[in-house]
Amino acid sequence: MREKLARWIVILLLLVTVMGVAAAWKARSDEGILHARLPEHGGWIPGDLRATVGQPLTIRMTSDDVTHSFAVGQMDMQAVNINPGEMSEVTLNFDRPGKYTFYCTRWCGADHWRMRGTIEVSGAGMEEPVKYEPPLYLRLGLDIDAEHHAQFLPSQEPSAARGARLEHRLPQQYTSWEYYISHSPSSAWQELRNDRSLSDLSDAELWDLAAYAWAQHSPPEAVQTGAGLYKENCAACHGETGDGEGVFANELAGDTHALDGHATTTPTDFSDEEHMLGAAPAVLHGKIIRGGMGTGMPYWGPIFTDEQVWALVSYLWTYQFNFSMEVTQ
Amino acid sequence: MKHWKKILFWGLAISLGLVISLAPMPVKATSSNQKLFKIQASRFAFSPAVLAVNPGDQVTIELVSQDVVHGLSIDGYDLHLVADPGQTASMTFTAGQAGSYTLRCSETCGAMHPFMVGKLQVGGNDLLWRAAGLALLAVIAGVWWKRV
Ligand code: HEC
Ligand SMILES: [Cu+2]
Ligand SMILES: [Cu+2]
Repeated sequence: MREKLARWIVILLLLVTVMGVAAAWKARSDEGILHARLPEHGGWIPGDLRATVGQPLTIRMTSDDVTHSFAVGQMDMQAVNINPGEMSEVTLNFDRPGKYTFYCTRWCGADHWRMRGTIEVSGAGMEEPVKYEPPLYLRLGLDIDAEHHAQFLPSQEPSAARGARLEHRLPQQYTSWEYYISHSPSSAWQELRNDRSLSDLSDAELWDLAAYAWAQHSPPEAVQTGAGLYKENCAACHGETGDGEGVFANELAGDTHALDGHATTTPTDFSDEEHMLGAAPAVLHGKIIRGGMGTGMPYWGPIFTDEQVWALVSYLWTYQFNFSMEVTQ
Repeated sequence: MKHWKKILFWGLAISLGLVISLAPMPVKATSSNQKLFKIQASRFAFSPAVLAVNPGDQVTIELVSQDVVHGLSIDGYDLHLVADPGQTASMTFTAGQAGSYTLRCSETCGAMHPFMVGKLQVGGNDLLWRAAGLALLAVIAGVWWKRV
């Protein structure tokens, strides 16, 4: 009787030890692995990582469902694909402390953009504290949520190339950066129209001059960068042709969002002249970095550099203006 | 029934049956056509899932993903498409030999991913016609058998 009991106890103890070792081993092998899941199934697990300046951070990653990928916002890096059943690895170097955002770059549903996490980087480099600067639209006192309608519309697509032939007539202030960011094309056109010295030019010629002025801040390289970013990050909602008919547009139309309870709207149609020609570049810039706060428009502030956001704005103008310098007519 | 009649009957029936099931179909309109398919991929189906083409057709497939990253490959063809939502992917190829080829999603897209399939049907649906022909032959033979 006693012997039997002892035997059972030994077997039980052995079992417990084996299970304990197995659990520990599994935890160890799972440690430090970043799991990517559809946002509705948890997104990044864990969602907060830590690193130290000067110490490379190596992350091993795998997907628990579909194709995802990993990139850090505002960092010049190649996104790393994360496939189910495979292990990917990335090594990051931080030379400045702060809070970084990492995100998924392969669309994985209408909520894909919510698939973001943070990397808290501590360490030296704090000597020069990062100055807080309010975003541009606040500094300019712009309300980016206000309705904006163009009061004047062109009768044909304005052409920067045609405008360039009248360049000598364009007063200098219209081509400045300050003017560009704070004026909608429609209001710029109105000021040109009210300018006595230009009264001999036709309405269409003034639109061409406006397109020329806008082209000064939308060089081909910026437009190209913007087009690439648009394709990867915006087309799923705003449509591959900018018409607001992306594959997720229907899902956003008048939907009450499951994840945050907000009522979403349809994505902006960038080919809509009345809407776009009434928007100042700084308004578009502000909307892109801050997002729609519940409308369905994501915030991209932590993801893109300022240069990238302006490149996107430049690209959006190509739905209204012909920036090509070859004259066609 | 006389012996030679029996032989004639079976001989005729079998050879007709062979002709129906094996005879090459008259080649219809060999001029290759251009066919365009816009396929919507969503978890876990292609729509449309069946593509009917003829041998020699220039087939263009545009793959539009509606939710997550999907892919498309066709058994027997060395082709591969990957479509992210918002980035339509497209390819053009020439349809080869008649037959039925399976379309497969080539990017893991969730639990039911292995069942995300479709079909490339090259050539008219011969099989159906041949089966109908054989059935008809059987009926006629049956009737004739009774008569004689
Ligand atoms: C998940 C869907 C979604 C994605 C992705 C998305 N948008 Fe939007 N966007 C919207 C919706 C919905 C609106 C309209 C509501 C609003 O203005 O907030 C909008 C509005 C905008 C506006 C405002 C236009 C105006 O006149 O006020 C701009 C600019 C814009 N998006 C740019 C972008 C850019 C650039 C990207 C890519 C980096 C992008 N969007 C990606 C859904 C999206
Ligand atoms: Cu993802
Ligand atoms: Cu799939």
